[in-house]
Formats: sequence, C-alpha cells, structure tokens
Amino acid sequence: MKLSALKPVALVLSRELALTALLLLGVSLVVFVILFLAPGDPFSVLLEGQMPSHEARAGVREALGIPTTWYGQYFAWLGNLLRGNFGTSIRTGLPVFGEIVRVGASTLYLTLGSMLVTLLIAVPIALHASVRGATPFNRPFTLLAYVVSALPVFWLGYVAIYLVSRQLGVFPLVSQASAPTERAWLYSLLPICVLGLGNGTVSEVVRYLREELSRVMAEDYIRTARAKGASVWRHAFREGLLIPMTEIVASKIPFILGGAVIVEQVFNWPGMGRMAWQAAQDRDFPAIMGIAMVAATLVRTGSLLQRVVYVAVNPRASQQRRGGGWAE
Amino acid sequence: MKRYTQIEDASRPASDVSPWKSAGTLDLACVGYGLIVVAAVLVSYVLGVFEWLPYDPEHISFGLLNAPPGSAGHLLGTDFLGRDILSRLIVATQAYFLPGLVAIAISLVAGTVLGALAGYRGGGVEVLVTYFNNLVDSFPRLVLILLVIAVFRVDIYYIMIIVGVTGVPVVASLVAGKIAFLRQKHFIEAAHVLGLPAHVIVLKHILWHHCAPLLVIRATIGMGEVILIETSLSYLGFGVQEPTPSWGNMVQAGANYFFQGKFWPSTAPALAILFTILGFHLLGDGLNGILEDRSGK
Amino acid sequence: MKKHLVVGLSLLSVVVGTPPVSPAGPKNDGRPDGGTLGYGEYGRPSTLDPITSNEMVSLRITELVFNGLVGIDAKQEIVPELAERWEASKDGRGYTFYLRKDVVWHARDGEEARPFTADDVVFTYKIMMHPKTTTPLKVRYEFIESVEKLTDHAVQFTLKRPILNALAKFSFKVIPKHGPANPIYLTREDPFVRQPIGTGPFVVKTITSDREVVLVANENYFKGRPHINRFISKPFADQNIMTQALMFNAIDMVVLVNPRDLPELQGDKRFVLQPYNALSYAFFGYNLRNSLLADKRVRQALAYAVNRQEVLDSFFNGQGTLVSGPFAPGSWAYNLDVRPLAFDPQKATALLRQAGFAPGPDGTLQKDGKKLALSLKVPIEKESEAVKRVVLAFQNYLKNIGVAIKVEFKEWQAWKESVFLEHDFDIIFASWVFDDSADISSLFHSAEIGAWKNNFGAYSNPEVDGLIVESKLTLDHEKRRTINRKLHAILAEEAPYTFLWTLTNYSGYHKKVRRVAIHPYKFFSFADEWFIPVADQK
Repeated sequence: MKLSALKPVALVLSRELALTALLLLGVSLVVFVILFLAPGDPFSVLLEGQMPSHEARAGVREALGIPTTWYGQYFAWLGNLLRGNFGTSIRTGLPVFGEIVRVGASTLYLTLGSMLVTLLIAVPIALHASVRGATPFNRPFTLLAYVVSALPVFWLGYVAIYLVSRQLGVFPLVSQASAPTERAWLYSLLPICVLGLGNGTVSEVVRYLREELSRVMAEDYIRTARAKGASVWRHAFREGLLIPMTEIVASKIPFILGGAVIVEQVFNWPGMGRMAWQAAQDRDFPAIMGIAMVAATLVRTGSLLQRVVYVAVNPRASQQRRGGGWAE
Repeated sequence: MKRYTQIEDASRPASDVSPWKSAGTLDLACVGYGLIVVAAVLVSYVLGVFEWLPYDPEHISFGLLNAPPGSAGHLLGTDFLGRDILSRLIVATQAYFLPGLVAIAISLVAGTVLGALAGYRGGGVEVLVTYFNNLVDSFPRLVLILLVIAVFRVDIYYIMIIVGVTGVPVVASLVAGKIAFLRQKHFIEAAHVLGLPAHVIVLKHILWHHCAPLLVIRATIGMGEVILIETSLSYLGFGVQEPTPSWGNMVQAGANYFFQGKFWPSTAPALAILFTILGFHLLGDGLNGILEDRSGK
Repeated sequence: MKKHLVVGLSLLSVVVGTPPVSPAGPKNDGRPDGGTLGYGEYGRPSTLDPITSNEMVSLRITELVFNGLVGIDAKQEIVPELAERWEASKDGRGYTFYLRKDVVWHARDGEEARPFTADDVVFTYKIMMHPKTTTPLKVRYEFIESVEKLTDHAVQFTLKRPILNALAKFSFKVIPKHGPANPIYLTREDPFVRQPIGTGPFVVKTITSDREVVLVANENYFKGRPHINRFISKPFADQNIMTQALMFNAIDMVVLVNPRDLPELQGDKRFVLQPYNALSYAFFGYNLRNSLLADKRVRQALAYAVNRQEVLDSFFNGQGTLVSGPFAPGSWAYNLDVRPLAFDPQKATALLRQAGFAPGPDGTLQKDGKKLALSLKVPIEKESEAVKRVVLAFQNYLKNIGVAIKVEFKEWQAWKESVFLEHDFDIIFASWVFDDSADISSLFHSAEIGAWKNNFGAYSNPEVDGLIVESKLTLDHEKRRTINRKLHAILAEEAPYTFLWTLTNYSGYHKKVRRVAIHPYKFFSFADEWFIPVADQK
C-alpha cells in the first residue's frame, strides 16, 4: 500500500516540477517582453533632478554594464536570474533579490495569515450551509461574506484603523526598527484580518466549498453508506473539504498577493507590495521585474504544493486526473 | 489546477438533494436585485450621457467643501472641491463603460476561442491552452498592472487590456469544461452522426445554446472586477484621472478626510461599489441556480 | 602667489572669527541628553549619501549625517562649519578654506575614527564631478575650475570666473576619502550610499528593508554631542496614515504636514505646528510657441481670471503668500513693490476682446474661427490632491471667461519629456524650488530655449536677456539688486508664467521635543540642539 502510493506521488511530483519550471520560463519571457516594449529610457531616473544629456545617459549605461541587444539583455538577465541575481534596483542601487527576500518574508506572513482568516470565516459558513441547507441562521453570514468581498479593501482598512485607533487609543503601526512591544503581534493582526476579509475571495471560497461539500455529500455511495449507518465523515472531509480547500487556496494566492499590495500600503506594512508600488512610481524596472518573478514563483509553488497534497491524499487520482486539465 | 467557477457547476450531474431547497424564491430574489442594479447602472449611464443631472458634476464651489448630505440641495453632499457627489456618482458609470467593455470583450472573445479550441480539438491544442492559462494565472493581476504601469504609462486602457487578458483563463476553462461535459453526454457525437459541420456544432449548438447564459454571467462578474481593480488603482494613484470621475477615485479622494470624521465623501461611492458588485454577484448566482435547476429537471 | 583679501561677512567672501573650538563631548548647556525621536516621512529615501541622493527624504537624512565647509543659518547667512575661516582672493576667483582640526569621521564597526583633512574635501569635489558619478549636483559646481590641497587643513578652490555669492555654494556636504569602495566615481551600487559615514551629529546605524533608518548620536561631534540619542526616519506610503500615526503617538514628528490635516493638529494641545518657508513658488507656465499664448494680453487675461487668494484660502487654509514675480520669495532679489495681480474677470474679458477674441456658438472664445482651447499638462505626483484641486479650480475659473482648458495628468517621466523635450503642451502647472541662489537666468534667458533646458515656454525678450547677463556679471550687490528688481517688474508684466504662491510648510511634532529650530529647506540643520526633557524620554 505504502509503496504503491509513493510511486505515483513521485511521478506526479516530477511532472509538476517540470511543468513549474516550464511555466516560470514563460513568466520570465512575458516579463522581459513587457520591459522590452517600454518606451523611453529607464536610466534617466538615475539622473533625476538634472536634465540628462545623451552622453550622461551613455555614461550611466556603461557604468551599469548593460548589453545593447534585446536577446543579449534577455539572456544576460535570465542567466543572472538563475544565479539568484535579479539585478540592481535603479533607485537604491541594492541587489533586487536580497531586497525581495528581506521584504518577502513579511509579505508571506501577511498572505498566509490572511488566508487563514479567510478560511476561518468561510469554512464554518460553507459547512453549515451544505449540511443544513440555506437556513435563516447561515444565510445572513453568507450574505455578509458577499458584502465584505465587494468592498474596496483600502476603504475597509481605513474603517478598521479608525475604529481601532479611536476605540483603543493606539495606532497599529508595524515597525522593524523600534524595539518590539508586547502589542506588536496584535498590531499585525489588524492588517491580516483586513486582508483576510477584504481580498475579495471570501464569497468565492464560501461558494466553492459549499458546492463541493454538497456534491460529495450527495454522491451515491455516501448516501448508501449513510443509509447503512456507516461513518462518512472521513471521506466527506477528504473529498469535500480538504481537497477543495487546498485547491481554492492555491488558486487564490495571486488575488491575495494583489490585495497585499493595497493592505501593505494602508498599514505601512514592510512588504513586497510596497516595494512594487515604489518601483512602479520610480519606473524601477529591475525591482518590479524581480517582484513579478517572485510573485509568480510563489503562485506556482502554491499550485505545486496543492498537487502534492492532492496526490498524497488521493493516490489513485494521479492516474485519473492528469494535472492541468479541467475535465472532471 | 482544477478550475472552480460557479458556472462549471452546471456541468455536474444535478442532484435532487439540493442544498438550496428554497432555491426558487431565493434565486429569483437574487436575480431581481441584480437586474435592478444593472438597470440602475444603465439608467445612470444614460443620464450621464445626456447630462440629465441634478448639478454640473464639474462645478466647483469653494464655500462648500466636503459638505454633508442634504446641505444646500446636494442630496449626497459634496466632495473635496465642493462638487455634487450624486451627479459625479452618476457620471462615473461612464468611466467604467468603455474600458470595462474592452476588458470583458478581450476575456470573452479570447477565452471562448481558446476554450472551444481546447475542448473541441483536445490534444496538443489543449496542452497549449492549458499552458497559456497557467502562465497567465501565475501573475497576481495587480503586480502585472504595476509592472505595465512602470514600463508604459498610466492609461486606463492599458490597464484594462491586462484585466482582459488575465480574465481569459476563467472563460477558456468555462467553455472547455462545458464542451467536455457535453462530450461526456455524447451530445457532440450525436451531432456528428447527424452530419452537422464542426463550426455549426461549436458555434450554434455548443456556444450559443449551452454557453451563452454562462458568458453573460461571466461578463457581469467581470464588470464587478473592473470596478474593484480601478478602485485599488485609484488608491495607488494610478486609476482614472481627474477631472473624470470614477467611483474609485471618488472613494480615494473622500478617504483623505475619513480620519477627520468626514465619512460621507468616501462612504457614498464605497456603498455604490458595494451595492453594484453585490448585485452583479447575486445576479450571477441566481441565474446559475435557476439554470442548474432547469438542467437538473 | 595671489594676494588674498579678507572681506566682510554677509555676502561677499568672508571671514568671521574663529568659533570657540570646543573639545568633542557633551554640550554642557544644561539640557538633558537622551530620548528617541521617530519622524514620519512621506516616501522612502533612495540613498543616504549627499551625492547620489536626489530627493527630500534623503536630503534631510544627509543633513543629520554630514557637514559642509560652510553652513547656511536660519537667516540665510554663511556660517563656519568644517571650515573655521576662509579667504577670497582679490580677483574673486580664489577661495581658501582653513579647516577645523578637531573633526573626526564616524567610526565604522571595528575601526578607529579617522580625522577629517583637506584630502577629503578634494576627494569630494573630484568624485562629485566625475562623469560616471550618479548625481544631480554636477551642473551646480561647473563654475569651479580646480581645487588644490595647500596643507592638511587648508584647501584652495579656483573659480572659472568670479561669481556673486559663491560662498554659499561651498555648503556642499563633504564625504570621507575612505568612504566609497570605488575611489574614482560614485554610483548607487556603492555600499557607501547605504552605510555612509560623515562628520555630522548623527551616525547611520541601521537601515531596514523597509527603509526605516536608525541614526544614533555622534559622541564625538565637533559641536558637542547632540542631545537626542536616536533619530528614526520612518517612511509612510499614505499621508493620512502618517498623520494618524502622529496623533496616536506611533511617531513623534511629521516633517511636512499635509495642509488638509492642519486643522486637526491645530486643535490638539499635545502637538506643536511649526511653520517654515521653503524657497519655492508654484506657477502656471505658458508655451509661447502656441500663437494664441504668444500674445501677452492673453497670458495676462488668464492671470486676471484666476482668484488665487480664494484658492489659497479654501484649499491651503490660507497658509501661504501670493507671489508676483520670478524670484524666490523671501530672497533679496524679490521685488516687494510689484503687487500680485488682482482677481478681475472683467479685465480678463476686456483684454481678450482687445486681443481679438469673441464668444463662439458654444460659449468658448474664438478668433478667426480658432477656439481659445488649451491643454494643461500636470505631472502625477504621489500626493496629488492639492495639485488636482488647483488645476481643476484653474479650469473652472477660465471656463467662466470662455477659455476651454483640457487637463491632462501625465506620469512624471512622460510629463518631463513632453514639457522639456517635445514641448508638446500649452500650459503646465509646476513649482520651482530654489536653493541658495536668486539666479533665474536658466528660466527666462533665450539661450536656454531647447531640449532639456529650463526655458520650456520659449520666452524670449532681448531686454530680459540683457538684464540677466548684466545681473550675472556684476559683482556689486546693490547694482545687482536693482537689476533684479527691474527684471522682476518686467517679467511680472510680461506674464510668461502666472505666478501663484509660495506655501508655508508646517512640521508637526509632539510638544515633548524642545528647542526645535527648522531650516527652511534643509530641515535638520539644527537638530543637534533639540532635546527631550528627562521625564518624557520614557
């Protein structure tokens, strides 16, 4: 049992790894093509404050050692990427990769935390709705999930800050430089909750989980088993809750990362989203390219993990359901 | 990597133990509310185009900045330039109309083509389309938009092209899923046996008869996404630019006064966004519920 | 060997007495040391050295970390800093600075502090002017021909030609020779730009990934150890949040309070709002390449049509002053006798009539079938509310007299290209920020018309050209003043810009911070004197 279960897992894993690598290659090409189509000269940012002459621009280019042909630039960039060198930020002169790693951890903390919040809200609602059907008790909650998903997230953040600061008399500001206080983790709770509620995915998570659960509960053999009085929760949990949960979480990573851009801005959270915004402001191409690459990598890693969980939970499925298909 | 859209649910065998036992009335209520919202948005658009407005939306009154609702005849108050909020809310629907259509058209057309190709042809085409979908899905939409903003410039149409392209995978998988379902039901083989040409089967029987309602639902939800994305971008300073009003830049401008206790200038447009998006979603849900019921019976 | 001449203080090259050379250590002025001051900045610093940095957030930090040969005090007067005295040669081309001998550089971890010498001054100038160095400063120092070390504590600069008020330019910050990793030129990749060492009152301790910068007191500061132990610069991405952070004590100071938040802080006894004037003014600039705007009457009419005082009062709480001409308000060159134009829409209409415009069918004025419709290009800024308000009010005022304005917001880089390179605009809204100079030659001299030059509107007037050159060449301060007053009057009348206002900036801080003096554009110049009473140090 054990061995036969392991083999398909390894098989699927290697397949998925290859697919992930292929996709990331595509991602890098997309990012580069967007950059290549850019009008103007990103390097004039460096000389902000004086109107750069062409000689000065060339001087800067030379100082930065930038190849002139597009494929030269792409392969140079790709080669560097593979060596973990994402280039140097035009604005700060710092290696982009190191910067992203340093801020990425706090973004990861924010996104994982907010996913948990989303699930904590969505799972009970979905469970109740699928087991009991729509009742006067769970319907308002379902509606509420829809409402928070439809609110602009930064506005939600303002409302939360207004309430917390006025009620508790403290300001939820996360700082890296100041000594951590006992309240520090509480401060980080607010942005996590706001993102968990306001990333626009609660309603979809509720809907999806509800439907998957109902579907599983309605399957013939469950009904049979139930009629016989056997316990069906194990199966229902695996098929109806665990797998759909990993699926929806994996597929919502991009949305949550996008929401994080806004929430980080509102709460002055030291993360990737703020870096992305700053980079967009300054047209700091290397930085924003690096962030796009890392964000895409995170998304792909999420999918990869989801597949692993799926196959591990359900080894048989690796034969039936080849990854990437949509046919059921 | 399985896709989960509510529309896909129509492709699964309907069961008689529906969780929504009261689906009939509830779905109707949802659809009713959704239709009211759609009608309100359309009416606003028409009012805006013909300039049948309570006030000139661009008229500045220096003496009446951030006035509360009801003051001096401004039903919803005024904004940071003393402009009438109600008039601006109405006009703002125009800001979404064309850009939104661009985004939705890109998603629907490209998505349908790719989905139909993948679902009908299968094989290598399907692999390619799957690759494309996964590629597009790898990017957080907002990060991709920021990248494009950094590289090009702030232009709502550039942004909407990104929104459109990133919306393609959902539609593609929706259509492909539907075709797979029909194939499973031997619908397509039957059509082949009847000697129908492929394009007729795909266009008329598959897309028109089975996908059209789903695509309509998808379009409304897409419009909701456009509004929320624009709002987020407005907060970052990259949304629709003044003096053109959009709900997003109105929330953003109003929010500057939020902490001073002047809630209204941002809450009014935020509620407009809320009710509209809620309407779009409930419309989708309701229609879906009704369709599911019908296909089940 | 040139003869050196000692000249009197305020303007021309100078010697003031030697300040008392106090041994480094506590200030012994009876005020307590200790405490931390966290201040909020809108936006992140790019780099922390004085050469490659190009925005205000960094500039303020460099003010804490570095010193110049000379300083400029609150009254715009030159005071000794790293140089304890100086001499100017008779021909006005040679400047010799005698350096303090008690100055040491901040020590790097595990290293001895090194003394400051003439080599560092020579090094700073050379690296600043190197073609590969990334810096906006080069153009400002092209007037220097050479620099020479005389002794370890004396250095001589030779200018290409004598210029007025040259001394103020020697307030550039000096960096150590042993600082940058690359001793030839400085780019943003050099580690020095992130972990700089200077001679100033505060030492850069850490910089977090989010660009929070922690600075600690320099125990060996030559003016005595600063009172406050730590400065923390916190970057904010949202001005509303920054003000809230101040209100709820998450930070102690905001360097520039948004005008819209002033009423909220004014009403709060816990905070002090301190005004400081920046040498800047806002304006609408016209493109005279457009034949409609080439007519002086049209430009004057636009100025008369706008009620600038109303805009200032409604949108900036009246925190500013209207300006009438091209010089930095508050500078000696500014002519207070020229009054800002009054708001007079009738006069505006009359002027446009004179210029041959008549109302068209849609209410917009026209002349020979050509509509008076103009495009106004505005750069998108991070905090754009004030800008939006002003340009939309402008549009509204001009609509009232029948002039159609199309407002276009453009991303900063694109805006700069269309204004300074392609000259594709009718009107722009912008501000000039002056440093220590009252030199407007780059703005209005006809030789400055062209790609990437500052006379973007192609204003050309032989009389103005003549006066500008004359003003530049004269070394007589009074004569120069008279010329500049004349220039001011002419340009006010000619209206190549509609001059708007100079705003009063406000810093808001918790009242526990005492003895706060703020330099108009460098901000932290006097921060070593600030202190926090022991009871409030926590």
